[in-house]
Amino acid sequence: MLNVRNLKAGYIRGAPVLKGLDLDVARGDCIALMGRNGMGKTTFVKALMGVLPQISGSIKFLDQEIVGLPSYQISNAGIAYVPQGREIFPDFTVEQNLAMGQIGKPKWRNDPVDFVYEYFPILAERRKQLGGTMSGGQQQQLAIARALVGRPDLLLLDEPSEGIQPSIVQEIAAILRRIVEQEQLTVIVVEQNLDLVRRLAHHVRFIENGVIKSGVAVDEINKDPTLIGRYLSV
Amino acid sequence: MVAIFRYDNMEMTLLIGLDAASYILTLLLVCIGLVIIFGMMNVINLAHGEFFLLGAYTVVLLQQYALPFAVILVVAFVFVALVGLLIEEVVIRRIYHRFLDTILATWGISLALKQLVIILFGPGSQQAVAPFVEPVAMFGITYSSYRLFVMAMAIAITAATFFILFRTRLGLTARGVIANRQMASCLGVNTRRVDRVTFAFGSGLAGLAGAIMAPLMSVDPQMGVGFLVPAFLSVLVGGTASPLGALWGAGIIGGSNSVVAAVWTPVIAQIVVFSLAILIIRLMPNGLTGRRRR
Amino acid sequence: MSRFSFPLTILFWVALAAAPLVLDGWNLGLLAQLMIYGIFAMSLAFIWGQGGLLCFGQSLFFGIGAYAMALTTKGMIPGVPAMTLTGLLLAMILPALAAGLLGLALFKGRGLVGAYFGIVTLSAAVIAERLATNWSYIGGFNGLLDIPPMRLGWGSWQIELYDPLPFFLVVLVAAIAAYLLLLKLERSAFGTVLRGTRDNETRAAFLGFETAEYKAAAFAVSGGVAGLAGALFAAQFAFVSPALLGFALATEVLIWVAIGGKEVLLAAFIGALAVKSVEKVLSDSLGQYWLLVLGLLFITAVVLLPRGLLAPFLRLTLPRALRRPEQATKHPTPEGRQGQNAP
Repeated sequence: MLNVRNLKAGYIRGAPVLKGLDLDVARGDCIALMGRNGMGKTTFVKALMGVLPQISGSIKFLDQEIVGLPSYQISNAGIAYVPQGREIFPDFTVEQNLAMGQIGKPKWRNDPVDFVYEYFPILAERRKQLGGTMSGGQQQQLAIARALVGRPDLLLLDEPSEGIQPSIVQEIAAILRRIVEQEQLTVIVVEQNLDLVRRLAHHVRFIENGVIKSGVAVDEINKDPTLIGRYLSV
Repeated sequence: MVAIFRYDNMEMTLLIGLDAASYILTLLLVCIGLVIIFGMMNVINLAHGEFFLLGAYTVVLLQQYALPFAVILVVAFVFVALVGLLIEEVVIRRIYHRFLDTILATWGISLALKQLVIILFGPGSQQAVAPFVEPVAMFGITYSSYRLFVMAMAIAITAATFFILFRTRLGLTARGVIANRQMASCLGVNTRRVDRVTFAFGSGLAGLAGAIMAPLMSVDPQMGVGFLVPAFLSVLVGGTASPLGALWGAGIIGGSNSVVAAVWTPVIAQIVVFSLAILIIRLMPNGLTGRRRR
Repeated sequence: MSRFSFPLTILFWVALAAAPLVLDGWNLGLLAQLMIYGIFAMSLAFIWGQGGLLCFGQSLFFGIGAYAMALTTKGMIPGVPAMTLTGLLLAMILPALAAGLLGLALFKGRGLVGAYFGIVTLSAAVIAERLATNWSYIGGFNGLLDIPPMRLGWGSWQIELYDPLPFFLVVLVAAIAAYLLLLKLERSAFGTVLRGTRDNETRAAFLGFETAEYKAAAFAVSGGVAGLAGALFAAQFAFVSPALLGFALATEVLIWVAIGGKEVLLAAFIGALAVKSVEKVLSDSLGQYWLLVLGLLFITAVVLLPRGLLAPFLRLTLPRALRRPEQATKHPTPEGRQGQNAP
């Protein structure tokens, strides 16, 4: 479904953060990208969304080349993005935030959003509340819901557990798992929280210095804790 | 104000009040497009006065063909919106990230447009005819019916603009792009299109204001200049965080100007209003409606 | 920063000084007039290019200078002797004071951001024009006529600068003096702080500089130089009017400086000379189309050449002690410094 070849990308010309990254993601897979800070995890997700000033190489999504496309076309091709820090619209209500997830998509623009309220009942209760007044965990749920209402094929999650208390992380992980199964989504999740990775991912890829170093099935991590130490400890 | 001696105090107060309201609402009419473009796109459009001018000349031109006034207003809005669209596409979009340069470029556009009008219509003043002229008698005074119409239109257009911004999908999209351009784009919103539509809409509003005001003014190439300073001061005073700022700004600038002008002279009024504006901007650098994010 | 910048700069001033050898009286007068505009343009280039303050009402100071000169030499200011010297002094001091005070009022505390500064100065100029139009003591709408020509001299030895040549020489001296003063400031520690404030005011403030005072001081200097140009203008034309304070002239000077290049004083100076002389040549043949062409040229310069047409050829290297590391090693300066003033 997603084939990345020799992806070089970064913020300043001549200083790429991603240095020739290759990655293949099959439909229905759920991949966790792990690695130390500064290795290029977030940069990779941003490169997929087409928001980086410097990018070269090839990204094929559903056999369409998306390198060089503007972000809105990438979004409309079926990739949804839940960014680090959530970036919900603080002055918009829950409903309006969800509407922003559909507004640019003629196909889904008039679709009901009730199905996300089933996954996230708290949002249904707070339809009229301003996004900026909600807790971190609720904002994260809103950001995920906003991504879902655009009916994506591929969901990108950047640090969904960041700044959220552990009990809520577990809850969100469980909901995400259910969503992935029921909506038949493919997922790439950038995450440092091992607990969430174990609950959600099928495979783990380790990223180091802008390239994918190795990959394992998530069960291997459970069996061999030294794996994690090798790639994540400082 | 010519006929002051025929009225007693009460009626004179009413007359001054009506004049003040008329000036405030006129200013609001001129400001609203300016605020849309400044507040939403962070572009100070110094060509706003010329968009106003184009709207007024549309009236002069089309009245020769005896078109109904309502039709002329619509044409003025659409025509100036298209001019705005063209200018956005050719010039403005190249310099969104260079804030001071947008002022200079729109300044150049203002110069070129004004000169174009002079070449096409000559430097002299033209006349637009009001669709109705009978004065209205009320509360013991008589007042120009067309001025009342202008006031009503200012209120209606402001209300319509607020409705579009806060109650429609288009407005939501525009506000979303302003709040977080990159995220909106990642959600599938074509931000370039939103820019174009917003700029065209703000330009169109200026044209509509010019068309509505044309019968009350002498239509000449300098007619936009007189509104430029009070309009910009209104925007500064009101702030650009919300289009509501235009309401506040026009109210304070227009109100104080009319009252001081009625008591003293128009020149003193300008100086007082200018000082007042600087004072307010000093105390509240982001205007009365306050904070700007980003 | 071309290798030829320094020789070109010297050559230009020498050529100007040599102009009387080839030009007749009429053309010398014209050249003096252009140079007055050039001084005016440098005053704007200094505050805009070095200080990053886009002043939309620079004509305000030009006009105050012109009126100060006119009123003084006509003996209309009680207590001030009607002399050229007092006129020139007042024509620099009054606009400098006006600019300095306006600057302090606008920049102190939580200062005004870039765009707002432009609008406030524009408003100030427009209102000053209206005020002058309605103030009958200073001539009202018609302005002041019969301003005496400059007189220089000491005691009984006095010459009247009625002929083009001596007047040209006075303007030349004024232009060179203004150029050297502004250049000296630009190339001093003061200029460095000013540019630092332009590029990143917060950082300059964190480094302990009173950025508001630096900006106000620069604005005052700029106002004083603009006033000098105004005084020379009044003396040459023997006539001042409210238009010298207002909108139209403020626009013109912006165009000269934008086309020449705001960050290089000489580029702004030549920008004024060039646009004005092209105007004299073309306004006959192009007629009404000239202003249209000028407007389009201005837009093009702003969009495509934000540093101006001439500045790249005339930019002088800074003294070694004031250079940035990357300039010292001959890398191009980073682009994209515009927009720093965005709120």
